Amino acid sequence: MGILLAAALFALLLGMGVGSVYVSPADILAILAGRLFGLPLPEHIPASYSVMVLDMRLPRVLLAFLTGAALAAGGGVMQSVLQNPLASPFGLGVSSGAGLGAALVIVLGLASAGLGAFLLPGVSLGFALGTVFLVLAVSAKLDRGMSNVTIVLVGMVVSLFCNAVMTLLATASPAYAQRIQLWQLGSFSMREWSAVWALLPVTVLCCLYFLRYARELDVMTFGEEQAVAMGVDLCRVKGRLMAAVAVLVGVAVAFVGIIGFVDLIIPHIARKLFGASHRRVLPASVLLGGAFLVLCDLAARTLTPPHEIPIGSITALLGAPFFLYLFFAGRRDD
Amino acid sequence: MEQTTLLTVEHLFCGYGKTEVIHDLSFQVQAGERLCILGPNGCGKTTLLRALAGVLAWQGRVEAGGVLLNELSPKQRAKKIALMSQFSQTAFDYTVYEAVMLGRYAHQSGSLFSAETEADRAAVEEALRLADAWELREQSVTKLSGGQLQRVFLARVFAQSPQIILLDEPANHLDLRSQAELLESLQNWTAEGERCVLGVFHDISLALSFADSALLLEQGRALAHGLVEELDVSLLDGLFGMDVRSHMKRMYGRWMVR
Repeated sequence: MGILLAAALFALLLGMGVGSVYVSPADILAILAGRLFGLPLPEHIPASYSVMVLDMRLPRVLLAFLTGAALAAGGGVMQSVLQNPLASPFGLGVSSGAGLGAALVIVLGLASAGLGAFLLPGVSLGFALGTVFLVLAVSAKLDRGMSNVTIVLVGMVVSLFCNAVMTLLATASPAYAQRIQLWQLGSFSMREWSAVWALLPVTVLCCLYFLRYARELDVMTFGEEQAVAMGVDLCRVKGRLMAAVAVLVGVAVAFVGIIGFVDLIIPHIARKLFGASHRRVLPASVLLGGAFLVLCDLAARTLTPPHEIPIGSITALLGAPFFLYLFFAGRRDD
Repeated sequence: MEQTTLLTVEHLFCGYGKTEVIHDLSFQVQAGERLCILGPNGCGKTTLLRALAGVLAWQGRVEAGGVLLNELSPKQRAKKIALMSQFSQTAFDYTVYEAVMLGRYAHQSGSLFSAETEADRAAVEEALRLADAWELREQSVTKLSGGQLQRVFLARVFAQSPQIILLDEPANHLDLRSQAELLESLQNWTAEGERCVLGVFHDISLALSFADSALLLEQGRALAHGLVEELDVSLLDGLFGMDVRSHMKRMYGRWMVR
């Protein structure tokens, strides 16, 4: 776990250092110290570097890290709650709800109407939470025990419906279609501190909340019936955890768009490296997810300058081979 | 010998949605008793276990270890009654030790910083040894055979330190030796006479050789309840709609009742 922490810090430094101008890790630390403690900058570092590293790259890198951490932790929790290695927060309708909200804002022209940078994230968060609430309410109506199969099915149906409405919106207003599509692919180019300050407390609080339920999560992976018999207040725990996942992932998605793969794959990598116990899987997912997305974003903005590759395609592009390698490498040890 | 009643079930009703499966069922189980629940598919055997374990909602009056079951919190209930479910498995890579430690859930406080106590570790070790799974403790549960996995789940039920264990088809998919070892572990567990076991078995002869008493269920109602030695076998014939004894003799060459 110590190695993982070091790797995450290294990824952060790398994310801040690499770009159109390379700044060495030592210089970044000097710049950070300069800003934090008011120390004078060493002579070989131009003052413009300070602005570039701290005001342009740092918020972007932090936003990427927090998003990765949020998606990975949310994914890990959903997989255990639904006892399904292929489950993801997006399956609850978080992403399609957020996407629909964002598409509405874009099509109605509100995004550029000067209502502030928080309108689009705000509306898409509202839609994301509304969609999850709808999914859970319909599941509860259909099946009082809220079994996992019901939730997964209803989540899928509602997600597909939202996606259909979104596609309809995009087709009906071709002028905005590309913006809608770009939003869906995700981006960290909105490199503002405000997004970081919004996501940071939510991520920290939700991850601590998940960790508080680490034991329940462990028990729940062995089956719902068994979990109840072992003393877990299943409906309550399940509802609380899913609500927390919806808020966490909803906020992340609202700011950066839909970034797939991290939520699905990072928890599995964490389990592979540290065993299945959630006391280790959750912190490891946070660090791995964060570091992974920082590196993906680095690749997204530096591989094809001056254009950015959509981050959502990078995660799968880099993640899929890595995932396969890890699993086949592990297979040989057995 | 004076007997203490561990479980009292009175006028129990239970079902799924509008379908009622258990109708007005009453029976008692004494400390030290091993009760098998017999009946054809759909008679409510598993439903009864699920109700007692808190998985299904029920109406009626159930007293376990001297307290009313419906007044207990989920954790308090789990300290009285444990269920070894027919369908428990995980896709994730826990070690056997970790999986059995989860049985201690009801005994642990739920907070961010709560840790395993010495008592937890002692209970887990005892449970693993009693279920003959101590040697497996460092293996991954995803790499065990069916028989080994059942032993691990049995250890987890022991680690829960309940007074009453409910078994749902524990011997399914086990070879003969694994069956015998599993049932022997359970017999040792009840031997001190302070705990009891309620088991649902697919195999009647296995059930009757393991249990001291039998509860015959017919469409959610008790057809008979009593000691195995005093069981009127003709009731079984009616229950299953066939000549059970001669079938058993044909299949196994003998009628296995002590």
